[in-house]
Amino acid sequence: MTAKIRPVAAILVSALFAVPLYYVLVNVFKPGDQIARTPASVPLPPTPANIHAVLTRPDGLFWVSLANSVLVTLLSILVLTVLSAMLGHYLARSAKRWTRVLALILLAGLMIPPQVILIPVTEVLRLTGLLATIQGLVLFNVGYYVPFGVFVFTGFIRGVPVELEEAARLDGASRAQVFWRIVFPLLRPATASVLIFLGVWIWNDFIDPLIILGPSQGTTVTTGIYRSIGQYQADLGSVFALMFLATLPVLIFYLALQKQFVKGLTGGATKG
Amino acid sequence: MGRKPILPRVWHFASFGAPGVVIYLCFVMAPILISFGYSLTNHNPFSPPAEFVGLENYRLLFQDEQFLTALRVTTILTVIVVVVPNVLGLGVAVLLDRKGWLYNALRSVFFTPVILSSVVVSIIWTKLLDDRGPVNDALRALGVEHPPGWLSDPDLALYSVASIVCWQMLGFCVVVYLAGLQGVPAELLEAAEIDGAGPVRRFRAVTWPLLAPSLTINTVVLLISAFKTYDYVKVVTNGGPGSGTTATIAFDVLATGLDANHVGYASAMAMVMLVIVATLTTIVLRFLRRREVDL
Repeated sequence: MTAKIRPVAAILVSALFAVPLYYVLVNVFKPGDQIARTPASVPLPPTPANIHAVLTRPDGLFWVSLANSVLVTLLSILVLTVLSAMLGHYLARSAKRWTRVLALILLAGLMIPPQVILIPVTEVLRLTGLLATIQGLVLFNVGYYVPFGVFVFTGFIRGVPVELEEAARLDGASRAQVFWRIVFPLLRPATASVLIFLGVWIWNDFIDPLIILGPSQGTTVTTGIYRSIGQYQADLGSVFALMFLATLPVLIFYLALQKQFVKGLTGGATKG
Repeated sequence: MGRKPILPRVWHFASFGAPGVVIYLCFVMAPILISFGYSLTNHNPFSPPAEFVGLENYRLLFQDEQFLTALRVTTILTVIVVVVPNVLGLGVAVLLDRKGWLYNALRSVFFTPVILSSVVVSIIWTKLLDDRGPVNDALRALGVEHPPGWLSDPDLALYSVASIVCWQMLGFCVVVYLAGLQGVPAELLEAAEIDGAGPVRRFRAVTWPLLAPSLTINTVVLLISAFKTYDYVKVVTNGGPGSGTTATIAFDVLATGLDANHVGYASAMAMVMLVIVATLTTIVLRFLRRREVDL
């Protein structure tokens, strides 16, 4: 391809691909009647009315779901990072046959569709009184995503020399100190991958909060969007604004950590 | 391993390994066993007690028109979602494989849908593809008198849903292929050029074989996510239009188990789903990994 065609082709293909993104962006800042009449036009002048309407809804749907989403996501990724880093350390440093079996059992978890386990999970949670609670959802998230965390951490911990840990032990550090003070800080790229990926997945999750939190209790932002689309079918402006506001945190998170994100995603690809 | 472990083994497992393992066993492995148990009964939480029915659910399943349809829908969807983003993703990656701010910005465009919630993506496309939505408005403006009912035509809806999934997954493939392309040594390409290989030949003989690991990752990720397609179906079509035109197995499992409360029957369905996805993933992974080793 000659040097002149490539940028033009790249821009055209990307523009075609981005049409749905453009469609949301322009309609967030348009009054409702304009969305119906001229969905593709640029909002001139842009109005914050839709966003204002969503933020000041009398039922506080946005704020309640935002608080739930933040709580669920933060608690889940914190517990997941700690538990999968430690479990990853155990798997990387112990070479018994049963460790390999355990690693395989965990690896299998990467491909288990949530539908296979959700029905019994709701019954387990009902029995323990955790159904329709944030704690229940967090516990489920931890169980479901721990294989991914372990998968990422184990690889990185194998790259940390054992001698480092042995030296620290000789110097009198306790086992926990060796891990949290010496090993864990060396795992920063792995930690970033785990936090970013699981953060985005859990924030965007739909089916698990829908079924575990249920209709009566609090919703997360995604289930909130899903429910409001049924209730406020006619008010397109609010739907677009709600989607925009719910995506904003992830978008900022992603833009801030873009390099890490892509590195984490392709780490496996380039290493094979 | 003659080396003494740095930590006493039991202590190491109890403090480092056990917490994660226990939660995993409670929330993933135990539910699979419970699900298998249910699949052998006619369990329904609202009409106890459950009776043991052996393999009856499985026998019924393979005579059940609705389940066979769901199997067909899932297969079509999976084939499209594994092939299309892989092919288009490779094309876009080759197109964007240049340095500079323009190409960086365009990569972000393709990656943005990957970080959106599938619910958000589904709603955007539901509005776009509505019979009186912007896509059909544009077609009418171009002179198409009766634009297709993308989501309301039973013959078309499944392909529309599949396209939506492809749109969201494309960016993932692009990024993975771009990383693979950056791993292709420039000297190899130059050597091939000196030997007289044209751009097509260079791609087929040098670049493509070196992209094998990227192909493996994309295919496995797409396969697994296509097979558990639920969100799009739930939000965009709710299984319709008509009966079961877009209902995947993943959708049917929850509709049967949670909406209709036939937990035993739904569990049998879930078990079949698990076996299929495990078998497929293992076969595909074996096949693609062998291709990588053969280089």
